[in-house]
Amino acid sequence: MYLQETHDKVFENNKSWATEQVAKDPDFFKKLAAGQNPEYLWIGCSDSRIPAEQITGLQPGDAFVHRNIANLVCNTDLNVMSVIEYAVKHLKVKHIVVCGHYGCGGVKAAMTPKDLGLMNPWLRNIRDVYRLHEKELDAIADEEARYERLVELNVYEQCRNVVKTAALQQSYAENGFPVIHGWVFNFRDGLLKDLNVDFETILKDIQKIYNLTA
Amino acid sequence: MSPENTFHYALSSNNAWAGYKAHQNPHFFPKLAGGQAPEILWIGCSDSRCPETTILGMQPGDVFVHRNIANIVSPTDINTTAVIEYAVAHLKVKHIVLCGHSACGGAAGALSDGRIGGVLDTWLLPLKTVRYNHAEELDAITDEKERVIRIAQLNVEAGIKVLMNNPTIREAIAERGLEVHGVFFDIGCGRIKELGCGTAHKSSSTISGDHVVRGKHGQLVFGQDGEAEIAAAQ
Ligand SMILES: [Zn+2]
Ligand SMILES: [Zn+2]
Repeated sequence: MYLQETHDKVFENNKSWATEQVAKDPDFFKKLAAGQNPEYLWIGCSDSRIPAEQITGLQPGDAFVHRNIANLVCNTDLNVMSVIEYAVKHLKVKHIVVCGHYGCGGVKAAMTPKDLGLMNPWLRNIRDVYRLHEKELDAIADEEARYERLVELNVYEQCRNVVKTAALQQSYAENGFPVIHGWVFNFRDGLLKDLNVDFETILKDIQKIYNLTA
Repeated sequence: MSPENTFHYALSSNNAWAGYKAHQNPHFFPKLAGGQAPEILWIGCSDSRCPETTILGMQPGDVFVHRNIANIVSPTDINTTAVIEYAVAHLKVKHIVLCGHSACGGAAGALSDGRIGGVLDTWLLPLKTVRYNHAEELDAITDEKERVIRIAQLNVEAGIKVLMNNPTIREAIAERGLEVHGVFFDIGCGRIKELGCGTAHKSSSTISGDHVVRGKHGQLVFGQDGEAEIAAAQ
């Protein structure tokens, strides 16, 4: 029974992991059970190759995590909006990382002229990112390079979407945090690239229209 | 740690991790760059204490992931639905694992009577419904921690029902034997157990005995300047 084997392996692995943590620190789970106090909110892609904690070396308890197809932050999506609100207002995270990755299947699917049924409404947001940066993207002749740039621009736009939320604007005005970071993960070398998103400028920029601090 | 330090820490750890992985297995990243073929779709809570790939002892490439507040599965939530569609119809995962956990803030929130504010009350409505549907059982539990655990488990059962009615999942179960599992992560001991709902009604995967698999795990070591490097653990 192949399926049973993969499934059993998961429980076996989990048990080994738990035993190992206790061997290293007998109070490991006791401390975890006491509560969470993460400094990070991670908004990343569902892609199996990007487990937030493993690639950043963050430990259980360090990063609050939301993962969806192509790391999108949509204004009308109560799912991600709840995550941001909870992380900012209740957990008071200091950093919000939007992490995209080159070779993103979601971004690629959105660039395909094809009806993808149930996924259309979600992927439409990536097509809108393209439209916002149409001139720049159209000027890139190499298809692969254009697609990689779209991944970066998508991260940039999703950072802007985080900044547009009431939770972020109010907390930043009051506490001076959280700050937003845009990262891109590269499978070829396993490294994270910081896009050096200019958070202060974005904030000033969007508040002309999207100011929700009052 | 000051905000700047934690930020530096994560980027520096990533550097160390990438170096370690490439050193350990030169084919690791080229293989990852080739594509993904995960067998598991994990739907879990955003809670920082539930890092799925780590607690499952798995590697990058193994688990496709959606995490939200209180691992709620709402039939009309387009975010979760898109993840399920992509994982089941396109990647053809073999298992869907819906995981709840102890000490869940969302579950505790649903048990309180006040308004949380913002969009959270609306997001947590399915959990509130679970609470009212099981009011008698939940009210009878005197220990508050236990009550939070119980509602989180009932929430998994409710989520499994939504999953089992999803048309894409139904087709995959009928056509290729996709399995759907409801599980629970106990933060107090780090163990996952099956709740006996989904396609497998009875738990068949409880591990007995104390056999420990010793793998070659890397361990992050931090210097005082916040620089990280990875050493092979014994
Ligand atoms: Zn992706
Ligand atoms: Zn939770």
